[in-house]
Amino acid sequence: MTVGEWVRNTSVYRSVIRHGIAPTNRNRSLIIFENLFLHVHPVKVREKTLRFTHTFWLGGITLASTIILVATGILLMFYYHPSVPQAYRDMKELQYVVDNGVFLRNLHRWSAHLMVFSAFLHMLRVFYHRAYRPPRQFNWVVGVVLLLLTLLLSYTGYLLPWDQLAFWGVSVGTNMAKQAPLVGERVRFFLLGGNIVSENALLRFYVLHCVVLPVALLLLISVHIWRVRKDGGVQGPPDDERRSL
Amino acid sequence: MTLRRLFALSSLAFLIVLAFSPVKNALRPYRALQRQFRVVGIARASSGKAAEVYSSRPIAIQQVWIPELNNRVDRCTTCHLGVVDAAMTSAPEPFRTHPPTFHTPRDVQRFGCTACHGGEGLATDEEDAHGTSADATSPILPTEFIEAGCGRCHDAEAVRDAPTLSAGRALMTKSNCFACHKARGHEDFRADAPPLETLSMKTGAEWLRRWLSNPKAVDANATMPNFQLTGDDIKVLSHYLFARPVPPQLQHAIELAGAEPNGDSARGKTLFAESRCISCHTVGGKGNGSAPELGTIASRASRGWLIAFVRDPHAFYPQTKMPRYSFTDADVRDIVAWFEDELKDFDAPADILTPLRVNQTFAEKGEKLFKSAGCFACHSGVKEGERFGPDLYGIGELKATSLDFGKRSDLPRTLAAWLDAKISTPRSFASGLKMPTFAFDAAQKRAIVTALLAIPAIPVPDAYRSTPVQQAAIVPAGPVGEIMTRYRCLSCHQIGRAGGDISTAPLTFEGSKVNHDWLVNYLAVPYSIRPIIAERMPVLKVSKEEAGKLADAIAMIYVDPSTPDDPFLGRPASDHDAAEGERLYTTFGCRSCHIIGKTGGYYGPPLTETKARLKPGWVFRFLQNPQRWRADVRCPNYGMTDTDALRLTAYLETLAEAPAVPVAAAAPARKEAAK
Repeated sequence: MTVGEWVRNTSVYRSVIRHGIAPTNRNRSLIIFENLFLHVHPVKVREKTLRFTHTFWLGGITLASTIILVATGILLMFYYHPSVPQAYRDMKELQYVVDNGVFLRNLHRWSAHLMVFSAFLHMLRVFYHRAYRPPRQFNWVVGVVLLLLTLLLSYTGYLLPWDQLAFWGVSVGTNMAKQAPLVGERVRFFLLGGNIVSENALLRFYVLHCVVLPVALLLLISVHIWRVRKDGGVQGPPDDERRSL
Repeated sequence: MTLRRLFALSSLAFLIVLAFSPVKNALRPYRALQRQFRVVGIARASSGKAAEVYSSRPIAIQQVWIPELNNRVDRCTTCHLGVVDAAMTSAPEPFRTHPPTFHTPRDVQRFGCTACHGGEGLATDEEDAHGTSADATSPILPTEFIEAGCGRCHDAEAVRDAPTLSAGRALMTKSNCFACHKARGHEDFRADAPPLETLSMKTGAEWLRRWLSNPKAVDANATMPNFQLTGDDIKVLSHYLFARPVPPQLQHAIELAGAEPNGDSARGKTLFAESRCISCHTVGGKGNGSAPELGTIASRASRGWLIAFVRDPHAFYPQTKMPRYSFTDADVRDIVAWFEDELKDFDAPADILTPLRVNQTFAEKGEKLFKSAGCFACHSGVKEGERFGPDLYGIGELKATSLDFGKRSDLPRTLAAWLDAKISTPRSFASGLKMPTFAFDAAQKRAIVTALLAIPAIPVPDAYRSTPVQQAAIVPAGPVGEIMTRYRCLSCHQIGRAGGDISTAPLTFEGSKVNHDWLVNYLAVPYSIRPIIAERMPVLKVSKEEAGKLADAIAMIYVDPSTPDDPFLGRPASDHDAAEGERLYTTFGCRSCHIIGKTGGYYGPPLTETKARLKPGWVFRFLQNPQRWRADVRCPNYGMTDTDALRLTAYLETLAEAPAVPVAAAAPARKEAAK
């Protein structure tokens, strides 16, 4: 009995991984079925859907940048205080004292740019491939909500460095919200926790950026990917188009 | 298979890219500097043990953290490793020991570095820490303005060991900057420029034109800046000033004085010299220079006005520093007669004192200009909260990127250069600016820029602030106060922190210092105490009665409670080993500065008259610590024991039996010295 066999026979291993190691179709299916995270994905996909030109991997890029953002965001939270005297200073500390702090912050920032950019392109791709049509109409709406969440995350993160750019960016943005008919004033007050961009606004934006919006985003991403499977996998270029080519 | 290879390669490429950051982190310049410091330290270490300390230093960021001082974190010592290390004197930068000052090395942990030097304390690389880039948030203070750092905590006008800052602050007060500009601590500032009500009876249109076009050209002592008025501006302002009504009482006094017969010019000249007018004024540039030049006074003011003014300056100009001398009517007539004879601008046109015929339309325009040009700020006073110019709050920490350089594309983009240009040529930035031009020289400009850079955006916490104690009621109310106000003691003497700087003798503890009877005589006929100093105390012609009242009050009020009335504790001074005192007088070399009898130096006051002039308790305390009351007293502190001080006091007090040598005769060098 090899060591590998012995490990695979322990009850601990068998309680965690319940399928065999043989590369059979059954085992491959079980890998997906038995995993909470993987089972949002179909067990089998067509090979052509993996081709780059099929989807340009835009959804995947968006998802990857989301994962990078969560990881770097959590690390950044260790160094950041959402308070007026500390917030900007913490940016400086990242730059001057924290090991690889500038890299961490820049990674977060550039991933955020990439996420917004690729989410947009993803939506365009879906639109031009007519993938919004039934049966995918529900997932299209989920996607639109995800795009909104992405933009809101981007915007709430903008205030957190608490520099002049952040302050005025949010001043202008919330003043635009104020122009909405009837509810404008209330929306602005609700967002800022007051009538001016102050420490209340900083705290609200921090909570939105680090708790409310990411949780909503992750839940909807799960729904989004799960719906891809339920709706028959990713749709690439429509068949009629392919015929005409 | 190719796809897998591609995947492997791209992953490798990503790893390499990711490794950039840790590599950069490991190669940060401070690490190399700290390794270098080990080498320098070991080379300079005096012993093997000291070298061990250097070689075992960890490579790490160093910082001074001061939560109480606006949560300051200064990491300057990450590179400046030898700041408090005595072994690093004259070591190469950045390791050199900080030059010794009042606060270094002892207060480095209390203040950090950026509290005085500015710069970005959080930074750990040179460019960011020193703020050398154009958009740096907090650039370091240039060394030539370093005393601005002192002023961030020290609020007093005069700060010890910071001569440039003190000079700048004094100059700002003297130049009436705070008449137009609001600044913390100067909210109640009132300019002391003369009121202009009697101008139309004082001078003529031509003199006024000359004055308004450039005051400094007319009188080098002028404090009024050049407003760069155009010919039209001067015309309308003149019409306005000549149209202002003269208060009837003053008008009457000037008219009566003008009609008086001429005085005795020769006697006037003597009186002028005896009264020591040039202790404040100048004549042909000779004199103190804190009051107007009198060399051409008769071409500046009419005879009637001059006579009426010298008789009662306070009726004309309540804020004036000039005392009201107890001259007789004839005295003043004689002095002004001398002015009319000698102190004239003989090149001036005959009509220099001819008044202007007022045109009402011009006068109305002039009134508007008087307000819009800001003349009123000094000449009529302003109410609190209505300063004419911009607020100076936080000016010392303005970001260079936020400054308006306007047309001055020639200037370096730094705050110091901007401030310097603002006070040299304020109107060169844009047209329509209102700040007048002051004729400051380079040293004065540097002093003012230093004082401005000392005005912080975020004031230091109260625990770090050194604010001079405000002393109330420096001058007593009632008749004594009236006498002191009349003779303007505070124009020259300091009492507490208030008062002028012309006299070297503060009156704060005068009552503990001098004897009553001596003071009465001195006030009647003042002389200079130290032979080397020119006689400056004006002969104010104080009456015996007034002198008595003043001396009584001074003995009562201006007293240092820690000075004993009788250091000899009721026994006669001669019981205290005066002979030993005399020996001490020789041992300490007192005679090199002081005269006793006929021998000694001229630097300090003669001591023959000690018993008559000084109280023994004061002498005793002074000998224990000559700098007790004034830091700039030159008498060395010998750290005398109480017994020795008492013996020396006893010796000086028993000298009085010897006949006093008239001081005037003992001082050949005294006429020199003063400015």
